[in-house]
Amino acid sequence: MTPRARAVLDSLGRNAGKLALATTIGLVLAAMTHIAAILMLPWLARQDAQARLAPTATSETAVLVAAPRDAGFGVLDPSPPATWLPHHDPAMAVGACAYDLAEGPLRVSAPDGPLFQTVSLHARGAGAYYAVTDRAAVRGRLELVVATREQLDDLVARDADVDGTDEAPADGFGDLRVVAPSREGFVLVRTLAGFPSEAGLARALVESVSCTIEPL
Amino acid sequence: MFEALRRAARNVYHLLLLAWAAALGAGLGLGSALFVLEGEYPFGERRVQAWVAWPSVGSPSSDPYARAIMARSADVPLALGEGIAFRADVDELGRPLDAACSYDVSGETPVARAWTVTLYDPEGRPPETAQRRAGLASAQMLRDEAGGVTIALSPSPRPGNWLQLPGAGRFQVVLRLYDSPVSGALGWLDDGAMPRIVRVSCPGGTTS
Repeated sequence: MTPRARAVLDSLGRNAGKLALATTIGLVLAAMTHIAAILMLPWLARQDAQARLAPTATSETAVLVAAPRDAGFGVLDPSPPATWLPHHDPAMAVGACAYDLAEGPLRVSAPDGPLFQTVSLHARGAGAYYAVTDRAAVRGRLELVVATREQLDDLVARDADVDGTDEAPADGFGDLRVVAPSREGFVLVRTLAGFPSEAGLARALVESVSCTIEPL
Repeated sequence: MFEALRRAARNVYHLLLLAWAAALGAGLGLGSALFVLEGEYPFGERRVQAWVAWPSVGSPSSDPYARAIMARSADVPLALGEGIAFRADVDELGRPLDAACSYDVSGETPVARAWTVTLYDPEGRPPETAQRRAGLASAQMLRDEAGGVTIALSPSPRPGNWLQLPGAGRFQVVLRLYDSPVSGALGWLDDGAMPRIVRVSCPGGTTS
């Protein structure tokens, strides 16, 4: 083998080695991109439930997102209300309100109707963190207070103050207190219309759920 | 002269290598992420017969892939305390559900305060049929003397509990158990605890 041929072979080998190195770096970059994309998507998505519900943050009551079709026959039967919820159960009336706990804890108050009802809490980017059914209602109302950890500490401290002055809390009875993992999120209310004739009632029950920020 | 050319070639080669690494990183990374997001929830799948459920998706312990898929689809799955949804897109023998065939869904349903059976097309929308009903709730069920429930899925009317199939294409059945101990995932179900999806007949003349 001539020295010249050897030099060419050496250079080829070096270049192939560089290509292999570049490919390895590319694969590591790909793994990092993959992980970053998956982790960041819930925070960047503009079409997810949180983003779609953002306009409901100012509403005092739950806003209807999906509803069962009203009862009726033939051509008189109205078409089902449009919804963006995928895999929506057509027997369920679904309402939601978005919240931001910056101003204070959120009070969710739902009247206990004759239909099966659930209230679930969802944190932005983290999914559901709490759910309760109408069985948790006390004296005909389901009262939930959603607070960050600091706000909950303040609430507990205030309760202790009230106890100290020997004065029972006026309306604190039966509140379910829930710690929210993050400031932003949304409340979802589902009411089951077991029969098509209950569709109107289910809608009304969902819309009568109030979500109000109660500054401390 | 020759030396300068060689150096230039090497620089170009290095630039190309850098571009190759960057393109590989971005392309493979984003492509694989998109591929995963288009599919089902990758972890925590539980199966009973033909039914599939993802109990952990509606809990605080949902994994990052599930959260990303929820963000992309705007789906809000049932939370752990609300209930659980079982989906089937095959019958009890593993054959894909065909909207031209007739099926019987019958058997036990696990303990729940209420349950619903709903049909969806493969995209997750309720099918629009002449019956104008995509689902039935437990309160509406007609029961036989023994208290059992049979729901007929068929393009043409059937006596008893009947849901109309659109007549062509694939479809899915979703059984939702509301306020059920099953969603707590304390134990898992055995095959007899869930209704069976039995193919009764198909237009081709083949029966089960």
